Amino acid sequence: MSALTVTDLTVDYRQRGGARLRAVDGLSFSLEPGQTLALVGESGSGKSTVVRTLSRFVKPSSGRIALSGVDGARGRSARKAYHKTLQLVFQDPFASLNPMHTVGHHLRRPLLLHGGLRRGAKLDAAVLELLRSVNLTPAEDVASKHPHELSGGQRQRVAIARALATDPKVLLADEPVSMLDVSIRLEILNLLDRLKRDRDLALLYVTHDLATARHFSSQIMVMYRGEVVERGPSDRVILNPAHPYTQMLASAAPDPTQTRAQAAEARRARAERRDTRVAEHRESALDQGCRFRARCPFAMEVCATRPPDLPAERKGEGAWNGAGAADGAAHVARCWLLGEPAAAAPAASSSD
Amino acid sequence: MTATIRTAEERESAGLGTDLVLRASDVSVEYAGARPTRAVREVSLELRRGEVLGIVGESGCGKSTLAFALTRMLRPPARLTGGVIEYYGRDGEVTDLAALEGERLREFRWGRVSMVFQSAMNALNPVTTVGSQIEDIFRAHRPQMGRAERRSRAGKLLEMVGIDPRRVRSFPHELSGGMRQRVVIAMALALEPEIVVMDEPTTALDVLVQREILDEIEALRVELGFAVIFITHDLALLMEISDRLAVMYAGRVVEYAPAEQVATAPLHPYTRGLLRSFPDLRGERRDLRGIPGSPPDLRNALTGCPFAPRCESVFETCHEVSPELKAPAGGWPVACHLHDPQYARTGIDAGPGTDADTDSGDKA
Repeated sequence: MSALTVTDLTVDYRQRGGARLRAVDGLSFSLEPGQTLALVGESGSGKSTVVRTLSRFVKPSSGRIALSGVDGARGRSARKAYHKTLQLVFQDPFASLNPMHTVGHHLRRPLLLHGGLRRGAKLDAAVLELLRSVNLTPAEDVASKHPHELSGGQRQRVAIARALATDPKVLLADEPVSMLDVSIRLEILNLLDRLKRDRDLALLYVTHDLATARHFSSQIMVMYRGEVVERGPSDRVILNPAHPYTQMLASAAPDPTQTRAQAAEARRARAERRDTRVAEHRESALDQGCRFRARCPFAMEVCATRPPDLPAERKGEGAWNGAGAADGAAHVARCWLLGEPAAAAPAASSSD
Repeated sequence: MTATIRTAEERESAGLGTDLVLRASDVSVEYAGARPTRAVREVSLELRRGEVLGIVGESGCGKSTLAFALTRMLRPPARLTGGVIEYYGRDGEVTDLAALEGERLREFRWGRVSMVFQSAMNALNPVTTVGSQIEDIFRAHRPQMGRAERRSRAGKLLEMVGIDPRRVRSFPHELSGGMRQRVVIAMALALEPEIVVMDEPTTALDVLVQREILDEIEALRVELGFAVIFITHDLALLMEISDRLAVMYAGRVVEYAPAEQVATAPLHPYTRGLLRSFPDLRGERRDLRGIPGSPPDLRNALTGCPFAPRCESVFETCHEVSPELKAPAGGWPVACHLHDPQYARTGIDAGPGTDADTDSGDKA
């Protein structure tokens, strides 16, 4: 059974003057135990709102969130049970730990609240066990330290240990390494990967980095302005992106294997495709139609007149619905180019 | 490493080209304190006219401090404690930056060397329009310029970086992050400097916007011919845009090489580690690991190679003798005993390490 099932989740933020901003629009997905799903998108795409809503920091306007098939109920005890099952690792380990408290204190709190332990030798042993599980050794020393005595990577390990203290089934990692030094990012991601396997965790890895998303997750979901525009097995989404937005993201990532001549050639090609140098023309907001069409190199008339449907990438390869998305094999994109055979010709072939 | 090369002929024979615009020799910077932090330690660099020099390293390695030193923008408690920074004007005039003072220093800063700061959000004043902030530059540096000309120059600068010139009347909060970064770049180019130092100019931006800004910088560089010192922790990005790059660790340059060579055959184990830290977007899946451990405390005196505790190819000499930046035969400057025939023994593997521990923890 899926550890987490999200159905038709919609989140609106109220703006000044009563207007509403739809941050997440009709999102459905599920997380499986022992699997990592990467949620990729730029800032403003709604990926952090998804994490906040799943953590119950933000109330959704509509939609269902079910843990192991059971809907999250209201009420104090249901809320507590929810948070025991679903835990969160924040982006900034410099802000997510209280500078006044020791590492041991940070880990004792969830164990006392959710673990059913009382103060004593058993609790201390559980704290040390947690520290060892995230490779913070010698655990006795680390437990008595304050956050400022630790490096960024060590702090993030403490934050991960804290999330694991409640023995969760679902772990949300919101940009867990973007504040860390490049040299230690992979260590932290490897740690999350190992913990996921050891503890059969369902992991949602939220990031803007396509390369780590591909390497550390089995599936990728690409969000753009509140909507998932593409989803599928990691390798296929990255190596063979179907949506023009994903294609743009993949081609914008720096490629160290490229020679300078190749880079210059790619730059020229991009400059030609861009009909105007005025940046803001590409950033205008839209209310209807495909939200990406203002930036899309393949925008057609049909993109403006009505929101695109959700056809399969190729005919007969799974549809965009709860069942098709949950089985994990489908590679789907939300784009007109894929649905209309007549219009599809210029799309896939020009995805360099 | 080239501090001793003085004449043009010597430089040419060393294959460096004669058209230098900036040369730093043995630059050291200290942050005052009970135990002073030696953030930059005897760094020597050369910048040729119109080239892109990349400086890469993790946080705390001294790369931003070095940039501030090269632009004479260090503020206490930071202090230049040693070294010479020379600026070569187009007319052949050589200026010793450390000796500049008063009006001449003011003229030099922004006029010859300008800087694009890390966070455009903080670099712009939120309570005045971007136009008046650009005009401020002309007010300060070109007092003879009339108001109408200042206005039109501000508009032209915005247009140059791809922003509608009417945006001179906009306040920073009315612009997106990418557009603000463009404004900051326009400001850096206002006085047509010879050198633009860019300190993580795209770090806070999304990939697509980052790509646009990089393209813009490259187009402007070709158009205007300024040299760029590009500072970032993103080695993958740097290898794509720079001609040469300097890898810094613990306040020192540990490898100084043509960018394309670094991509294919990095010499220093730290450079190899950094390269490995970026998974390849489209390449084969492989075991991914970073560089375990953390950099040394720069308040302490360092004996031996500062990278030795984290190095996978470490041997005894590394803990005792500090490696100097020098070029092995047929190579480029690198500070590592592995590439020094005096120390490197046969059998020591200068290639990538092979230990399989992918998840070694931070030992506290």
